[in-house]
Amino acid sequence: MDGKTIEAIARRAGLQKTLEAFPDDVAAAAASAEKATERVRTSSGTPPASLEPSIEPWPPMVVRR
Amino acid sequence: MSDLHWLTASAAAVAIAKREMSPVDLTKALLDRIERLNPRLNAFILVDAEKALKEARAAEAEMAQGRLRGPLHGVPVAIKDIIDVSGLPTTCHSKIFEIAVAAIADAECVARLRAAGAIILGKLSTHEFAIGGPSFDLPWPPARNPWNVDHHPGGSSSGSGSGVAAGLFPMALGTDTGGSVRNPASACAIVGTKPTYGLVSRRGVFPLAFTLDHVGPMTRTVEDNALMLGVLAGHDPLDPASVPSPSGSDYTKSLEVGVRDLRIGFVRRFHETDVPADPEVVAALDRVALTLRSEGADVVDVTLPALEDFAAVNRVILQSEAWSIHSEWLKNRPGDYGRLARRRLMSGAFMDAGDYVLASRVRSQMIADVEAVLRQVDILLCASSMDPPCRIDDSEAIERTYMRQARTPFNVTGHPALAMPAGLSRDGLPLSVQFVGRYFDEATLFRVARSWERAAGTDALHPPLAG
Repeated sequence: MDGKTIEAIARRAGLQKTLEAFPDDVAAAAASAEKATERVRTSSGTPPASLEPSIEPWPPMVVRR
Repeated sequence: MSDLHWLTASAAAVAIAKREMSPVDLTKALLDRIERLNPRLNAFILVDAEKALKEARAAEAEMAQGRLRGPLHGVPVAIKDIIDVSGLPTTCHSKIFEIAVAAIADAECVARLRAAGAIILGKLSTHEFAIGGPSFDLPWPPARNPWNVDHHPGGSSSGSGSGVAAGLFPMALGTDTGGSVRNPASACAIVGTKPTYGLVSRRGVFPLAFTLDHVGPMTRTVEDNALMLGVLAGHDPLDPASVPSPSGSDYTKSLEVGVRDLRIGFVRRFHETDVPADPEVVAALDRVALTLRSEGADVVDVTLPALEDFAAVNRVILQSEAWSIHSEWLKNRPGDYGRLARRRLMSGAFMDAGDYVLASRVRSQMIADVEAVLRQVDILLCASSMDPPCRIDDSEAIERTYMRQARTPFNVTGHPALAMPAGLSRDGLPLSVQFVGRYFDEATLFRVARSWERAAGTDALHPPLAG
């Protein structure tokens, strides 16, 4: 994620104040997020969950009385 | 009775019930020890000595009238400071809540301890909001490891681990979202259990990530852990994740049965391939496997998905859910967080809804994978921490070892997991092992843990702390 993208996402998320005061922390948070999401996207199980609509998210919806 | 501070909760409860020991004497002895050692360990954020003594006197008076409230009557306990205790503030070890109002009610887990007769000593240090630590930029200092106060006690339930290991109290409550009960248990050579998701109520606990949060017992022995979980477990209709346990709540019954009829799956890939562990950790895990085999268990190799995949799923879910809790404060009061919490909690802002749902769907697959293996074996044996605890002032080592662990898989899947000592390193620092069970089969988990504890004598391990 490049600096401009990070800044755009941070501003959209309402983190202007944080961006001004702690730019390194915003960049570190973005880098960590990118690493984790990439890993999930590229190794999403067998078969890949991204290609198999029958795999539902956890926890399932539970009907309670 | 000498060395009251090393008494187990079980032994103390028996001695109090037989009126061989006064809960007031026990509480006073522990408060004295806290006064002497806590300035070096920083295990506590708040010691509620006056109220604890009042509760101890009440417990003694009840005993004099022949009334026993429950299995922990008169036994002191301390509470991680993200868990509500009526009349005390819940600070989450953060400036955000530095001037917090007192909680108006006990968390359900605290209420259950109280109903069983336990005496609350106070509130314990944690990594900020159970995620940012160890940190030196918070209103309270980080807890220290009693095995060597220059070292990290693990976290996030850091005060719980430090204080139990140092003999400040025989049991403590911790919480575990990515390993936060089992990490300090591993670093401080105590027993910590993350129960099956939904077995222990989370009501009254400040959330980190709703679908990953667990409350668990931290003690010096397996027996105490089983006793404490028996008190904590049970359905809470006001916690949406809570489920009734089908296996009942006396986990102490089969502790001494041994492992002769059990099949144990050894997950070597976590520490041999995925995140190669320190050689002393590898040797300790092999010793555990060998010992359990010699105790009669059938120990076989099994494999699970890669540790990095579990970790990524845990991180996406945890940080997405945590962002939804913290976003307003992160936008408006970013300077009131410590650096580590600010960085970790903000990551969720950079993940989208698709990432969260995909991670939740992969989670379903991971649950199926672990369930398939647990149909072949009764228990899993694997690493907890890949390294002995590092120095607390070495931020690079803290960051490096943060992910070098095998605890997150079982937050993702919700299976019960217990970490406990596996010996000491050449430097005298704790090494650890983790056992994982089938859903709601904590009884077998404790049985295996007790077999290893009995064979290796890990319950006799105490840090060489002055006093």
